[in-house]
Amino acid sequence: MGQERFADVVERFANGYPDLTVGASPEVVRQWQEELERGFKRMQNLARMVQHPVEPRTGQTPREEIYRKGKARLYRYASKRTHRTPVLFVPNLGISRPYIFDLLPGGSFVEHMTTEGFDFYLLDWGVFGPEDNDLSFEDCVVKILPRVARKVLESSGAPELSILGYCMGAPLSASFVATHPEVQVKNYINMAGPIDFSKVGMFGLWLDRRFFDVDRFIDTMGCLPADLVKAGFKLLRPTMDLSTNLNLWWNLWNDKYVEGFTALNKWANEYVAFPGEFFRQWVRDFYQGNKLFRGELVLGGRPVRLSSIECPLFVVGAKEDYIAPPACVRALLDAVSSREKEYIELPGGHISLIAGRGAAVHCWPKVSGWLAQRS
Amino acid sequence: MSDVSAASQQLFEVWKKQLDEGTQAWSRLLGQNPTPTPDPMSFWKPAMEHGLQTWSRIFATTPVTPDLMSQWKQFLDQSIEAWSRALGQVMGTDNFAEAMGRSLDQWLTSYAPVKKAADQSIDATLQALNLPTRTQVTALAKQIMDLEERLDRLDDGIAAVLRRLEGGKA
Repeated sequence: MGQERFADVVERFANGYPDLTVGASPEVVRQWQEELERGFKRMQNLARMVQHPVEPRTGQTPREEIYRKGKARLYRYASKRTHRTPVLFVPNLGISRPYIFDLLPGGSFVEHMTTEGFDFYLLDWGVFGPEDNDLSFEDCVVKILPRVARKVLESSGAPELSILGYCMGAPLSASFVATHPEVQVKNYINMAGPIDFSKVGMFGLWLDRRFFDVDRFIDTMGCLPADLVKAGFKLLRPTMDLSTNLNLWWNLWNDKYVEGFTALNKWANEYVAFPGEFFRQWVRDFYQGNKLFRGELVLGGRPVRLSSIECPLFVVGAKEDYIAPPACVRALLDAVSSREKEYIELPGGHISLIAGRGAAVHCWPKVSGWLAQRS
Repeated sequence: MSDVSAASQQLFEVWKKQLDEGTQAWSRLLGQNPTPTPDPMSFWKPAMEHGLQTWSRIFATTPVTPDLMSQWKQFLDQSIEAWSRALGQVMGTDNFAEAMGRSLDQWLTSYAPVKKAADQSIDATLQALNLPTRTQVTALAKQIMDLEERLDRLDDGIAAVLRRLEGGKA
């Protein structure tokens, strides 16, 4: 019965289809010609992408390696250095590679900051192997970040530095700033970094201690492999690939779009494993214990009190961020003692703060503008 | 063109309603008190019928221009977004998290002995071939990292002494 009705509808649809050639205005014909040309261009670009895939040239801003520890590398980027205070950029550890911050000329956060005259340093945490499984969150805050900050100050010759934490780099660097008052931090910026993990959304639920035994997981696996990191992020937005590919098809005629897509797609599918002990501490103390926000975190024997952060603070949240929802990012504002603090919420998701046209228009100028006044 | 847009919107609204009802039914199914299995056709077929009727009307009443493709793209975008929200609603429940935790637990239970056996077998093979095992290479890498840490500590100490000396001079 159901099938008959469905067939009737299809037939009505077919009968109702008008004669395409009747009444077509020159404007409509011109539009169809344009669409046809785009169609050819789409096929051309698709064939090129499949038969002769071009490796995108990411990370083109000139830089030099200043320091290395384990897998971590500290890079200093070439710039006019018109601002006196150097900027240390601390991104996420694991998950993805940091060339997203210097994706392509004309679409690079690093390029933007250096063009604006900042003495810009990027900490690349590296790609981890089994030998790094003992690396913990505490090691990063107590052993790596203090040395990195010292190297920044030594190489720049400045007495103080600004720190910019993105994503997981924010809780890492905020913990460092809170526990190392001897390091002169002039400004602190949190871009999409989760602070109050009671508001962290879906990942918070999935990693809740009622449903996820992190000790058993790490004791068995040794680390969080890159494939599982990928699975977790894909699950967070299961329709993302569909949407991405639909947009690719729609814009496939546009060479510039294809170039950007190729670079971004390469990054989006290159996942990095988490060292075992890092993941254990990250889940137990942050997702399950919310210790940083509650003031219960102790690193290297020092209690981590966000209230001990007193420097000017700028917090940037993204309205549709599913990894670090705005509420959990904004929480830093109320936790610190800074007299000068500001929060902005921008359209888009987690990645749209650091990559894409939206970031270059809405986000980067605000970050560099805020810093420039204080550097 | 506004007719096309309105029709597309109308089509989307109909489809969205069906999707919401479908999602609620699946949520109920995954819930604590399972209800009888819903018939997927009862959710999706009416939506498809409405959709085809609406698109049939659009084709019959408006000139066929490439703009219609933009409308179609817009419709697909909205549909994907609606799907995403619907899936998000289901995945954001305790039941889903519990089910995921349980399946991960089962996977670990079956994976652990397999991994242990595979590791032992690979180690034995490499030792028989007089080649270093993964464990040995990892241990060596860790030793190098320990050495690097010691060097860093020495470097820290020297830097601290230099700072004190400079402070003394000032």
